[in-house]
Amino acid sequence: QNATVTGTVKSADGETLPGVSILIKETKQATISDAKGAFSINAPDRGILVFSYIGFKTQEVQISKNGPISVILQSSDNALDEVVVTALGISRQKKSLGYAVQELKGQDLAEAKESNLVNALAGKIAGVRVTNSQGSMGSSRVVIRGETSIAGNNQPLFVVDGIPVDNSQLNSAGARDYANTISDINPEDIESISVLKGPNAAALYGSRAAAGVILIKTKTGKSKKGLGIAINSNAVLETLLTLPVYQNAFGQGSEGKFSYVDGAGKGLNDGVDESWGPKLDGRLIPQFYSKGVAVPFVAHPDNVRDFFQTGYSLNNGVSVADAGEKYDYRISYNNLKQVGIVPNSGQGKNSFVLNTTLKITPKLSLTANANYSKLNSDNLPGTGGSRSTSTMLQFTWFGRQVDINQLKNYLDENGKTFNWNNSYYSNPYWVAYENTVSQNRSRIIGSLALNYKIIDGLDFNFRSGTDYYNDRRKVRIAYGTNGTPFGSYTESAFTVSENNTDATLNFNKQLNDDFSLALLGGGNIRRQYIEQNDQSAPKLAIAGLYNLKNSRDPLVSSNNLSRLKSYSVYASGQIGFRNYLFANITARNDWSSTLPAQNRSYFYPSFNGSFVATEAFDIKSEALNYLKIRGGWSKVGKDADPYRLINTYVFSAPFYGNPQLTTGAIDLNPNLKPETTTSTELGLEAVFFNKRFRFDLSAYNTNSYNQILAADVSQSTGFSSKLLNAGKINNKGIEAQLGITPVKKAFTWDVDVNFAANRSKVIELDAEKLLTNYVVASNSAQVIATVGQPYGSLFGTAFLRDGNGNIIVNATGAPTTNPTKQVLGKYTPDWIGGVYNTFAYKGISLGVLVDASFGGSIYNGTYATGTYTGVLASTLPGRAAEYGGISYYYPGNKKENGTVRVNVTAPAGVTVYDDGIVFDGVTADGKRNEKVLPAQQYYKSFRNIDEANIFDASYVKLREVKLSYNLPAKWLRPLSLQGVSVSLVGRNLWIIHRNTVDIDPEVAFNTGNGQGLESLSNPSTRSYGINLNVKF
Amino acid sequence: CNKELDEVNINPNAPEIPQPDYLLTGTTKATVDSYWGVTNNMNSSLLFAQHWAKVQYTEEDRFIYSNSSFTALWSTGYAQSIAGFNKIIELSDAQGNSNYKGVALVLRSWTFLLLTDAYGDIPYSQAGKIKQFVTPAYDKQKDVYYGILNDLKSAQAALDPAGPVIVGDVIYNNKIASWKKFANALRLRIALRIADRDPAKAKQVIDEVQAEGGAYISSNSENAILKYDVSPQQNPVAASFETRNDYRISKTIVDKLISLNDPRLPIYASKTENAPQGYVGIPNGSTNSEASAIGLANSSKPGAYFLDAKAPAVIFSYAELLFDRAEAAARGFTTEDAEDLYKQAIRASFLQYNIGGTAVEDYIKQSGVVYNAANYKKSIGEQKWIALFGQGLEAWTERRRLDYPQLTASVNTVLNGQIPVRFIYPGTEQSLNGQNYKNAVSNQGADLLTTKLWFDAF
Repeated sequence: QNATVTGTVKSADGETLPGVSILIKETKQATISDAKGAFSINAPDRGILVFSYIGFKTQEVQISKNGPISVILQSSDNALDEVVVTALGISRQKKSLGYAVQELKGQDLAEAKESNLVNALAGKIAGVRVTNSQGSMGSSRVVIRGETSIAGNNQPLFVVDGIPVDNSQLNSAGARDYANTISDINPEDIESISVLKGPNAAALYGSRAAAGVILIKTKTGKSKKGLGIAINSNAVLETLLTLPVYQNAFGQGSEGKFSYVDGAGKGLNDGVDESWGPKLDGRLIPQFYSKGVAVPFVAHPDNVRDFFQTGYSLNNGVSVADAGEKYDYRISYNNLKQVGIVPNSGQGKNSFVLNTTLKITPKLSLTANANYSKLNSDNLPGTGGSRSTSTMLQFTWFGRQVDINQLKNYLDENGKTFNWNNSYYSNPYWVAYENTVSQNRSRIIGSLALNYKIIDGLDFNFRSGTDYYNDRRKVRIAYGTNGTPFGSYTESAFTVSENNTDATLNFNKQLNDDFSLALLGGGNIRRQYIEQNDQSAPKLAIAGLYNLKNSRDPLVSSNNLSRLKSYSVYASGQIGFRNYLFANITARNDWSSTLPAQNRSYFYPSFNGSFVATEAFDIKSEALNYLKIRGGWSKVGKDADPYRLINTYVFSAPFYGNPQLTTGAIDLNPNLKPETTTSTELGLEAVFFNKRFRFDLSAYNTNSYNQILAADVSQSTGFSSKLLNAGKINNKGIEAQLGITPVKKAFTWDVDVNFAANRSKVIELDAEKLLTNYVVASNSAQVIATVGQPYGSLFGTAFLRDGNGNIIVNATGAPTTNPTKQVLGKYTPDWIGGVYNTFAYKGISLGVLVDASFGGSIYNGTYATGTYTGVLASTLPGRAAEYGGISYYYPGNKKENGTVRVNVTAPAGVTVYDDGIVFDGVTADGKRNEKVLPAQQYYKSFRNIDEANIFDASYVKLREVKLSYNLPAKWLRPLSLQGVSVSLVGRNLWIIHRNTVDIDPEVAFNTGNGQGLESLSNPSTRSYGINLNVKF
Repeated sequence: CNKELDEVNINPNAPEIPQPDYLLTGTTKATVDSYWGVTNNMNSSLLFAQHWAKVQYTEEDRFIYSNSSFTALWSTGYAQSIAGFNKIIELSDAQGNSNYKGVALVLRSWTFLLLTDAYGDIPYSQAGKIKQFVTPAYDKQKDVYYGILNDLKSAQAALDPAGPVIVGDVIYNNKIASWKKFANALRLRIALRIADRDPAKAKQVIDEVQAEGGAYISSNSENAILKYDVSPQQNPVAASFETRNDYRISKTIVDKLISLNDPRLPIYASKTENAPQGYVGIPNGSTNSEASAIGLANSSKPGAYFLDAKAPAVIFSYAELLFDRAEAAARGFTTEDAEDLYKQAIRASFLQYNIGGTAVEDYIKQSGVVYNAANYKKSIGEQKWIALFGQGLEAWTERRRLDYPQLTASVNTVLNGQIPVRFIYPGTEQSLNGQNYKNAVSNQGADLLTTKLWFDAF
């Protein structure tokens, strides 16, 4: 006989638990607890209810007749009970999955805050490779399990509460490293992050699953204890972590000579922006600030360091949350103010989040989420090598004697810009204060979802969500800037929107004692819209007024619109047998607007399964607590970018009234097929010794083929590139997560280790096998995908060597370049890993994260230039007798006669120099090189030989240290406080090991695939501060 | 839903079908910008010809280049110019307007000529046909010249002043008669280019033009030039000097003009900024220190004529045409009076810069100028070199061919005293068209600046 049973579910600390799955063991009917933790179900007399919930132990309760049931679930660290969020937000028991999923809790992100959310993932999740931004306001790149797309986007898809959100990095107008847009999400609002590592886990996301999916679940309202108000305050200082190592022995000039007149060539080498000048020994030389008076020529060792300031960020947020019988809500507000290390750089962010659910009837609930964020920056730090905007360019071409303090007033008494060099540069403070780029982004991510319980076990869900933002940049180059005498003004405006509507049916049933079934079917409509409008006044008419009307020349405008639409249907099913054997299947078909009609529809399935041996064989051992093996195969398809089918022609401004068109650079492809990725994954999870030792091992093999890539072709074809649909790349790798609890008493010590090694190989570029290289990015060296090599090869000029590997020198004794370019390394690492140690005692806990990356290479552009310009400490050896320089002279004092080493004494009347160096190489006829090169020529001789400038990019970093203290409850009760925690936090504190000089080997230049080519990057930073969290 | 999705994917940003006139303006402008621009002119061929010299960052003037230094002529030449002109030819065939085809053929021939003159063996017969050839084979330089000569003959046949009108022509303002003269002028230029190697073919080409009753450019008003406009459509030289200060006039040509008392000197060169104001060239191949020691304010920029925003880029001048006719006569290809044509050429050059009056007659009489029939290469070579001032690619090529004026490389240069005699292929050809690149190198010789090309017999 059935009766309606009611009750509530709470956690051990008294919080109500919404969304707990409640199953009637006998009938296999199920329901879910509401926002207040309440439930009601029609159940047989003395039946058994099974309560299960993410992160809690499953509990069985027998129905009694004593009125409402009150259930308290115990939190669980048992692998058997763990429930995780999978694709499309579906919760599944972890043991039932045939692939790896790893989660991070919001608290791990919120305390040691990063302004770019992506950075917080670094070192914490096996197989997730994060490349940090320059400074703290730039872009960060994240790649999961290696690059599976040769030319396309390898950034994972970010999904917030079921809504795919944009994470693009929209161009770099004004030479700024704009942050990728996922940084709009405030870490404080995140409940958990679940990482689906590639197609096996993410197949249901279709087109964008190949690179993996990062699922973000934001916090929702819970029934309050106390006032339900939480305040979080975070203050962090930011200082330089790296800086090139400069020499302080020689100042500006060339061949040892320098004297300032106008800084543009009127004086002696005073237009030279290099440090091959006189010794910094206090000799008297007119300098840029001395108005013709000879003043002491001395080093200013910290002249670059002193340009930078201590940055800081202040992050303050407040939230209110509650849940009632028919509603729950959480409202939060957060404010970030950030000041960068580059003078006059900074940004502010405000975000408002509202998450709410209304239970309209017992069967129908409505969830509405809205996240509004506003980013404001008056100026972002200048990056890269553009002379009007770069921060590091002129410090790499620099006079080591320059007193930076003399430059702070960047205008002279006549109001003219004032600098140490006037032939090429503007004053660095002028660059920082006058040539600015502002950014302003308003964004709303919102969704509405309906859930209707048709019958117990069968739900209908409808969700529609939009991510919409406007992003505007204003690029100001001031009148009087060197190289841009009239200045310029550019406005860029982006409008981006992505709209997803999904309808799904969900069915869950325990079929009998042995079998359980979960089915899902649904459909999706996706629309994407990206518009860009740029207007530029290339020369200002009058100084200081930044308005597009203030232009000497006709405005230059461009305007681009991109639209995409797709339809999808998908289904998934899970069959479980006796709680230890599970089979999962998914299928999806997409129709995308970007593909030609004949290839528009594409289907892809996945299968996976798991087997829990400890359950199946009923192993109950202290030594072996849990053992599961899992495996699966999946296939995902991917469409193209919009407008890649038919060639178009390019407009430029009319010439004498004639409109102009030219041919496009890419030969497009009207027969594009979808890209396909297949992936096989095997895994093993085990827990030993009373859960003191846990590991999770994965191995995967991913093949991506029919890749759409605009391969460079010889321009003699009439095009620079051709859109191919043929590339093949393989990635295989292993991942391990290891958890050890060496001490587990009042004092506990946990060690979490993660390790991942990925090997990629480019199999083929075009079907005809005519092409061997795909150029991903070019600087001096190039990043290429070359057949037979790992992805991300660094390709460039090498030393010319003889059969024994000796470098061959030319007649002057300088190294020669091999006319054939070589593969000189790869930027992708061989392995990455992290070790997180957590020590806890009572309310105190200490977390220390060390992470490492080994085996990649980087082209060090700072070193290449700084060696050429003589500013780096690495150019000291041989520069004078005291630095080991060889003495030599020119016979007859004529330079065309070449150098002769001083053996005993030099002939009378010749000038003797002491800066000679002999390059370690052989002459063309195989003899050891003995020609003496002046140091300046020696160090300048390998700037264009990329091999000399490529370094191993391995590093070990002290990524995070966090010391937290939760104040005891007994102190707080009298103050009506629910919780107070204080943390001292530090990020990127120390590069423990690196094999490069002068730069941080881990620097993202953008979120694209062209990594590993460093060029005058801004120094990276460390941050440390305090975090305070108070709950009322 | 297919129709709806098709519509979503119609590109709203750029046309799928171009108009020939828009394409003609755009492609012509892009080609000439590259021809007159930094990479192909100021920072390479003008230095090799010793018209200009570098006063800052002098590496290029010392012939220190990488294999990406010479990509611009290749990339623009093929992927903009030849691709664009091919498309015009295709459109004009479809629309039945043979004059677009003729004009495009002439300009495409000029582009191929620039390419082969600079690199030697180049893709020609398989170039610009990506549907058939993803890795185009290189044709031997001789075959390229022969091919262009045929193309110019077809162009001549296609061009009809009484035929359909064209628009968008920014060189001759849509005057088909002028294009016919320019086409013949190019045929004459090529005939002489190969004259040392293949005199029979050279003569045959000249005879052909004559047999067709073909006319050549016959006054400065028929010069093939692109006249630039104010910023942002300014002359590339003006654009460079607006933001940079890297170039000065070469000491070689300044000294030559001074020694001949040449009235073109104040046109070609500006006076120094510092007193005593005068015409001071920078020696080619100076080190940074040496150039810096002379100083920016104590050396001459190019003349105001060349620095002007609206200055023309010269593709083919009447003066050059007359020098060509003089040389054809001197070589016995024609029966014209070589000496008279030589004098006319100098007069035309003076008039090109509006130097009127009797100055030119006094100039011609000087012993350093007077025509030397025994060494026509010296007379024509030196005067043509002066007349071609600013046209770096042509001046450099003609000097390679005629071996006059005799120029020497500075001791600071890095090619063992040689001056470059070709551009090196873009480094990307090694990776993108490797086998054909290797074949070209094995045919032509190492891919170096010092490997002589087929036409350059002496």
